[in-house]
Amino acid sequence: MLYRVLTILGLSLCAGRVNAHASEQGFVLLLPTDVYIISGASSVALTIILLAFLPKRTTHFIFSPVLQWQTLRFPFRHLASLLSTVLLGTLVWQGFTGPRDPLANPMPLFVWTVWWIVLVSLQGLIGNLWSWTNPWTGIGFFLKRLTGSRAPLRYPRRIGYLPGIVIILLFAAFLLADPAPADPARLATFVGIYWYVALIGLVLFGPVWIVRGEAITILMRAYAKMGAVGRSRGKMSLGLPGWQIAKSPLPPLGLAIFILILLGSGSFDGLNETFWWLDVIGINPLEFPGRTAVTIQTLAGLVLANTALIAGFTACLWMGERIAGSQRSLRHAFCLFAPSILPIALGYHIAHYLTTLLVDGQYVLRFFNDPFFRDANLLGLSEVYVTTGFFNTPGTVKVIWLTQAGAVVAGHVIAILLAHSTALKDQARTNRALLGQAPLAIFMVAYTFFGLWLLASPRGF
Amino acid sequence: MTKQIKDTSRRGALKTLAGGVAGAATMPLWARYAQAQTSEPIKIGFQVHRTGIGAAYGRWYGRTTEAAAKLINDNGGINGRMVEIVAEDDGTDPKRGAEVVEKFANQHGCDVGFGTLFSHVVIGSAPRAGELKLPYFVVSEGHHVASGMLNRYTLQPGITDVKSQVQAMAPYVASNLGKKVTMIFPDFAFGHDHRDFFTAAIEAQGGEVLEHIAIPPTETSFTKYFPKIPRETEVLYHVMVGPAVLTFVKELGEFFGPSRPEMFGFIDSLEAVDIASPGLEYLEGTYFWEGNPRHAQADQSDHDKAFRAAVGVNDRGASISDPADVSTYAHMFGCWETLHVIKAGMEASGYQGPGDRAALIEAVEGMTDMPESLAHPQGAKVFNGKTHQVFGHQYISKVEGGTLKRVHTTSIEDTLYPDETDYTTQSF
Repeated sequence: MLYRVLTILGLSLCAGRVNAHASEQGFVLLLPTDVYIISGASSVALTIILLAFLPKRTTHFIFSPVLQWQTLRFPFRHLASLLSTVLLGTLVWQGFTGPRDPLANPMPLFVWTVWWIVLVSLQGLIGNLWSWTNPWTGIGFFLKRLTGSRAPLRYPRRIGYLPGIVIILLFAAFLLADPAPADPARLATFVGIYWYVALIGLVLFGPVWIVRGEAITILMRAYAKMGAVGRSRGKMSLGLPGWQIAKSPLPPLGLAIFILILLGSGSFDGLNETFWWLDVIGINPLEFPGRTAVTIQTLAGLVLANTALIAGFTACLWMGERIAGSQRSLRHAFCLFAPSILPIALGYHIAHYLTTLLVDGQYVLRFFNDPFFRDANLLGLSEVYVTTGFFNTPGTVKVIWLTQAGAVVAGHVIAILLAHSTALKDQARTNRALLGQAPLAIFMVAYTFFGLWLLASPRGF
Repeated sequence: MTKQIKDTSRRGALKTLAGGVAGAATMPLWARYAQAQTSEPIKIGFQVHRTGIGAAYGRWYGRTTEAAAKLINDNGGINGRMVEIVAEDDGTDPKRGAEVVEKFANQHGCDVGFGTLFSHVVIGSAPRAGELKLPYFVVSEGHHVASGMLNRYTLQPGITDVKSQVQAMAPYVASNLGKKVTMIFPDFAFGHDHRDFFTAAIEAQGGEVLEHIAIPPTETSFTKYFPKIPRETEVLYHVMVGPAVLTFVKELGEFFGPSRPEMFGFIDSLEAVDIASPGLEYLEGTYFWEGNPRHAQADQSDHDKAFRAAVGVNDRGASISDPADVSTYAHMFGCWETLHVIKAGMEASGYQGPGDRAALIEAVEGMTDMPESLAHPQGAKVFNGKTHQVFGHQYISKVEGGTLKRVHTTSIEDTLYPDETDYTTQSF
């Protein structure tokens, strides 16, 4: 049976979206996406049915690390972090002084392509790379060493993850509603100020600020729990993505809400480009008037999408608890199941940005080909033009779309497995308890439909 | 070296145009280089759609602009100075566009602004360019320049406008394809322009439009609209745009089968899409307006050949790095030609710096004939200094064996219409 589950996982992995071009979307519209969507959602539903008949130990087994090895703790973590700080400083400097073109200047290329697309995805697939690349921890460590002083202020425990939640919403607002988030100087200003403010937070409150208040680190640490590689009983371990979540303690409410915001904002990132949304806000999708014309609508939509997701998720949990007749509080259930949303958020993140990566990744390579703007040809790419040709042929568009869909479906299958494993951990396996998982399971199947529909929908920009 | 001309009258500018070009050409090449390398560059602010709805066009406009700037610099620059392209992303957003124009003028010290395609960005940015007195050369093909909606600082000397393009199609359509036309167009300004301009033009040719079928922009399936096409239709004029274009063609094929009327469309629908793509077979034997023939023709000019080589596109209008990457060939020549007009204008006016911006505008306003050349590879043009709009040949191609074969070249006269404004009466 386990084999079958893994087979489904494997199948779903070979399965999409775009930020470029009318022609690519044109080919997507010609694909039998309704068939794909039904197949995708069915594989998620099938996983649920299988789980109902599998013995309890199945999910425990699935989420056990398969390989463990002993490693020495690499002592240069803080040094690597310092290098990352230097890199960030260089990028900010380049943002002000380098080329004005956002696809030539390393500032937007590194922030929006290398970090936001590649590094976030790798963090979720592999593990905690952020512990090496975090641009605050190293400098914080050395500042403390140098001054020998403790943080002068006590982080107010009562506010928990509230600063992180506020900052991640502001980040999403900048990403989606700002008129020019890729403008090199504008981005450099925002990034520079944010880095400095977060550093002050670190100096004032100590490392607790970084894990509770600094939204980027919270995001990266949350996704690190999805990674295949992590620490278990003092050893490095490798397992099915999600295994670390299955073994993690109950997260606090603030972190649970933060995780839902990751999915809510990510989903709205896709939704706000669709013909459907543009029609809702009264915009002609064939002549999108530009971001500044829809700032209010985008911000309202972002808040609405997150509210609706949290409300819907909570309602499903409430119903499930009622059916199962459990004695847990709704708050407890919310914290318990929120981490199972992470693979969905990660799957959608990868799917949503895959097409952007395929194009903007080429600009990153072009930058590395000539990083100092001296007509160098380090990678031999000076004669190679950036292409979007793969959006112009039905075969490649199909492969891209199915890869995207695969990421979405795989994310949901893992989410289902995680939710099931969590439910079993926390209560006895009775028929009633199993039935209690139904509302959340239905929610996840519905979200699969939604995620795949987003990929298949025509978009206005 | 061209000398600075203080007389900024049109006649003076024209005289300089001839003298300046000749002067620069008579300098030894090494001298032009030496001069070019020691002077401050001419900064051309390139307002590019890097992100947003225009990004696919922006990429090709960027490639063409880089190629044109390289050619100009390889030949000694402008007035002996190198050209530097300062590319700023406008996000295909009018408000952002105005900010970018402001940056060109106030932060980057650009001599001119250039390159905008999407009409709403042009309309949003041009007033700011006018206020800042920054010459603003757009490559938009919108009728807004010639309609008198903008200002003295905004010019469109490198690409023809949609009104002239559409009306120039009518004589060929009426005499070769049929006089009874049904138009299918998206129900917003772009479609309405086609509806209004073409309906008037075909009536002037003794034809008529039997039915106007306006499709809501959010529509992604069209079968239910096709029964509205009258049976006696001889020509179906279609200008659908957006992601559902391929679906439109497929469904049209399913509806008509082999017994279809003649079909005439604008290549805008399939710009950057390979005409030989699976699913587009139904377009075989149909006709398209092309701003510049995408596929190299049997009588291809040396200029077109050189233009393709410089931009890096092959005989099918696709990137030499990837034959699947089809360019926006019908439009992007506009960037190339506009940069060359800026060069000619700067040379004619002896442009030295922002103080000579008015002289530059007057020099361009003074231009009339632009013969086909490496500076104008799309073909000869006539500039109208009063309306700030250029006029040129339009092409009609027929799809034959998956290739767009040119079957008609309009005269420039076919594209002319009475002036709707006179910008030269506005003061600087």
